[in-house]
Amino acid sequence: MDFSSIPLLTITTFLPVVGALVVMVLRPKKTETAYAIGIATTALTLLSAILIWIRGFGPGLSLIEEFSWIPSIGIAYRLGIDGISFPLVLLTALLFLTALIFSAKIKEKANIFIQLVLMLETASLGVFLSLDLFLFYVFFEITLVGMYFVIAKWGHEHRKKAALTFFIYTLVGSLFLLLAFLALYLFSDPNTFDMRELIANPQITGLAATLTFWGLFIAFAIKTPLFPFHTWLPLAHTEAPAAGSAILAGVLLKLGTYGFIRFPLQMTPDAFREFAPYVIVIAVFTALYGAFVALAQTDIKRMVAYTSVNHMGYLVFGIAIAAVTTTTSGMIALDGAVLQMISHGVVTGVLFLLVGALQDRTGTREMSEMSGLLKVYPILGWLFIVAAFASLGLPGLAHFPAEFQIFLGGFDVYPVAVGIIIIGLPLTTALYLRAIQKVFLGTLPKEFSGVSDLNRRELWAIVPLIAGTVIIGIYPNSLLSLIHATTNFFGL
Amino acid sequence: MATDLLNILPQLIVLVTAVTVLCLEMARRPLAGLWCLVIGMAAATGVAVDMLGTETTAFSTTFRVDALSLWAAAILSPATILFALLARAELKDQAREGTIYSLMIFATLGAMILAGSGDVMFLVLGILIGTLAGMAMAAYPRNDPSSEGATKYFIYGSVAGAIMLFGLTYWVGLTGTTLISALISPDLSPVIVMFGFITLLAGIGYTASLFPFHFWIPDTFEGAPVSVAAYLSVVPKIGALFVLAQVVREIPVSVVDWPLILAVLAVLSMTFGNVVALWQDNVIRLLAYSTIAQSGYFLLGVIGMGQSGLAIDSLVVFGVAYALMNTGAFAITLAEGTRLDDFKGVGRRRPWQAVGMTIFLLSLVGMPPLAGFVGKFLLFGSAIESGYTWLAVIAILNSAISLAVYMRIVVPMFFQEAEEEQTKLYAPGTSFVWISTFILTIVAGIGVQWFLGGG
Repeated sequence: MDFSSIPLLTITTFLPVVGALVVMVLRPKKTETAYAIGIATTALTLLSAILIWIRGFGPGLSLIEEFSWIPSIGIAYRLGIDGISFPLVLLTALLFLTALIFSAKIKEKANIFIQLVLMLETASLGVFLSLDLFLFYVFFEITLVGMYFVIAKWGHEHRKKAALTFFIYTLVGSLFLLLAFLALYLFSDPNTFDMRELIANPQITGLAATLTFWGLFIAFAIKTPLFPFHTWLPLAHTEAPAAGSAILAGVLLKLGTYGFIRFPLQMTPDAFREFAPYVIVIAVFTALYGAFVALAQTDIKRMVAYTSVNHMGYLVFGIAIAAVTTTTSGMIALDGAVLQMISHGVVTGVLFLLVGALQDRTGTREMSEMSGLLKVYPILGWLFIVAAFASLGLPGLAHFPAEFQIFLGGFDVYPVAVGIIIIGLPLTTALYLRAIQKVFLGTLPKEFSGVSDLNRRELWAIVPLIAGTVIIGIYPNSLLSLIHATTNFFGL
Repeated sequence: MATDLLNILPQLIVLVTAVTVLCLEMARRPLAGLWCLVIGMAAATGVAVDMLGTETTAFSTTFRVDALSLWAAAILSPATILFALLARAELKDQAREGTIYSLMIFATLGAMILAGSGDVMFLVLGILIGTLAGMAMAAYPRNDPSSEGATKYFIYGSVAGAIMLFGLTYWVGLTGTTLISALISPDLSPVIVMFGFITLLAGIGYTASLFPFHFWIPDTFEGAPVSVAAYLSVVPKIGALFVLAQVVREIPVSVVDWPLILAVLAVLSMTFGNVVALWQDNVIRLLAYSTIAQSGYFLLGVIGMGQSGLAIDSLVVFGVAYALMNTGAFAITLAEGTRLDDFKGVGRRRPWQAVGMTIFLLSLVGMPPLAGFVGKFLLFGSAIESGYTWLAVIAILNSAISLAVYMRIVVPMFFQEAEEEQTKLYAPGTSFVWISTFILTIVAGIGVQWFLGGG
C-alpha cells in the first residue's frame, strides 16, 4: 500500500477516541487493564504524530485531508498541518501520554476518567489540525465539556465551583469565537469556511474586520488567558487533578495562543496591525501581573498557575510583535512565540505533575507547611529544581531560547515595552528560588514520616518531559527549523 | 381541486387519523387508537418528506406548500408519535387515556395548518384548533394544579386571540382581502400595518410562548401531565414560529421595522426565560422557562426572512433540533421525577440516562457537534447576515446563562448522591423516546446537510 495515501492526520486525531470506545465496550474490571489500554492508545497516537514528522510536510498547510460534509454552506471536513501546528500536535500527544501514566493511581471511576481524557486528546488534536472554521469550533467546544467533567469529578476541595466557573467563563469566550467565525464566513466571497481560503485571501475589511478581530481577541484572550480575562485560571488549575492541570496548562491554553496566530494574525492581519499596540499593552501588563501575583502566593500550585499567566503574556507579546512588523524581527518574535508554546507546555506540564506528586506525599500545597524535603525526596526535589529553573528562563533549558527570541524580535520595534516586560524575569526567578528554598531546603520537621520518593510510574511520566525540556534548551533548532520554515512562508 | 387535495396530503392524512382515533376512543379502544396514531403520523411523515422541495400553493394561494409547511409536517408528525408514546407511559390504563391521543393529533393538525398559512383565516383556524385541543389536554388530570394551569391557558388564549382577531378584522376590512400576501398595499398607512402586525403578534406570541405573552407557560406545564407539557413545549411553538416567518416575509421592512420589534421580543424572551429559570427547583418549571428562552432564539431565524439566505434553513434545523432535544429532556424528566432532588445520583443509578440527559441539555445550550449547535449556528448566521450582530451577541451571552441553568440538572446527576434508594421504572415507551431522540440529537448534528437546501 502506498504510504502517502494513508490519512495520517485523521488517524492521529481519532486514535484516542478509538481507545475510548475500546474502554467503553470492554469495560475492564481492573483499573490496570483500563490504564493499559489508555496508555497504549496515547502511545500509538504519539507514534502516529512522529510518523507525520517522518513523512514530512511543506512549510505551508499540507498533507490536506478533505471530505465533503455540509456542502450547502461550504463546510467540509478539512485537516492539514504546517510548522506551527505540528510542534503542538507533538506536544499534545506527549503530554497526554505522560499525564495518563501519571494518573494511573486514580482508581475512582477510572474507566470514565480514561475515556474523558482520551476524548479531550482527540478534541485538542482536532483543534490544531482543523482547516475548517466549523470543524475547529466543534473540537474547540468539546474540550470544554471534557475538561469540565475532569475537574468536577476528580478535582480537589472546591472542584465543583472551579469547574463551573471554567465552563461558563470559557463558553462565553468560545461563543464570541462563533460570532467571529460567522463574520469571516459571511464576508468572504464566495462564502466559505475553508481556513486556507481565508488565510490566503483575507477579504474582510473596515468595521467588520475590526469587530471580528475583537471577537477573536476576546475568545482567545479568555482561553490564553490574558488580563483581565484570567480569573478562571487559578481556580481551575488549582482544583484540577494533577494530570488535569498539566493538560489544561500544557495543551488547552495553547488553543488560545494557537488561535491568536491562526486567526487574527492570518485572517484579519490589518486589524491586528492597527490594534497591536493595545494588545502589546495588555500582554506586557499580563506578564507582569502574572509574575507579581505568583510572587504573592503561598499555595505552590497556585503559584505555578500564575506563572502560566506570566508566560502567556510573553507569548502573546511575541505574536503581537509579528503583527506589527513584517521585517525579520517580526519573524524572530513569532518563531519565539511558537517555541514558547512548546516550552511552556513541557515545563509547566511537568511542574504540575511534580506539584501533584508533592501534594500526594505531604497532603498540602501550602509552602509554609513544607520544608527540607530535598533530604527525603531527592529525586523529586532535583527534578523540581530543574523544571523551576527552566520555567524562570535559565539558558540551556526550554524557555530560554523562546523568550530570548521574543525579546530580541520585540526590541527592534518596541524597546521600551521589552524593557518593561523583562522585569518579569527577575520576579519569576525570585519566586521560584523562594519556593525551592521553602519547600526543599531548610530543616525537615522532626515528626515528618516520609513516604518514598518518586516511584517508577511517576518517573515514567516526568522524565520524558524533563528530557524534552533539556533537548529544546540545548538544541532548539530541532523544532525551530520547522517553525521557521512556516513563519518564513507566511511572508508576513 | 384534486391537485389541491394532493398538495395538502400530509395535513389530510393527519385529519383522517385524528377522526379515526376519536372514533376508536368512543369505542374505548385506547391501544388501537395509539396504533392508529402511530401509523397515521408515520404515513404523514413519509408523504411530507417525499414532498420536500415542492413549492406551490393550494386553494387559490390560501395555503402554502413550501419548505416551512412541509418541514413542519415532517417534524411535528413524528414528534407527535413520540409524545403519544410518552403519554402512554404516563397515563396508561386511565379512564380517558385515548382522548389524549386524538387531542394531540388535532393540535398537531392546527400547528401544521399554521405553518402553511397563506391566509389569515387559516392562521386563525390553526391557532384556535391548537389552543382548544391543548387546553383540554392540559386539564386532563382534573386536579387543582391542572385546572389552574388550563384556566390560565384558556384565559390568556382568549384575550390574546381576541386582540388578534380585533386587529385582523380591522386590517382585513381596510385591505378587503384575507390573503397574507395582499395585506400590504401601498395606500395603507404604516400605522395601520403596525397596529395589525402587533395584534397579530399577540396571538402568535401567545402560542409560541414569547415574552410578554408567556405567563401561562410555567403553571400550565406544571399542572399538565409531563407528556402533555412536553407536547405543548414543542408542537404549537414550532407551528406558531413558522407562521410568523410566513407573515413577516410579506411585510417590507420599509413599511414596518418588524425585525427590530422581533429583535426586542427575542432579547426579552431569551433573557427573561434564562434568568428566571435559574431560580426554579422544579424541573418542569425550569424547562418551561427554558422553552421561553428557546423561542427567543427561534426569532433570530425569523428576523432573517427575506434578508438572509440562511433564514429558512436555520428555522428548519433549529426546529428539528429543538423538537429532539426538548422531547428527550422531558422524557427523562417523566421517568426520573420533576424535582431537582429527584435527579440526585442518576449518574450512578442509570449512567446512560444521565449521559442522555446531559446530551439533551448541552444541545439546548448549543454545544457542538449536537443538533442544537448547528441550529443555533445557522440562527446566529441568519441574524448577522441581516445586520443584527448585536442581537447575536445578546443571544450568545444568553447561551452562557443557559449553561448555568442546565448545569443545575447535570450537577446533581453526577456529583450528588440520592437521599433514599430509588427504583424508578422506565416504561418501554419512555425508553424508546429518550433513546431515539438521544441518537438523533447526535446524528442530526453531524448529518445536518440532510435538512438544508430549503431555500
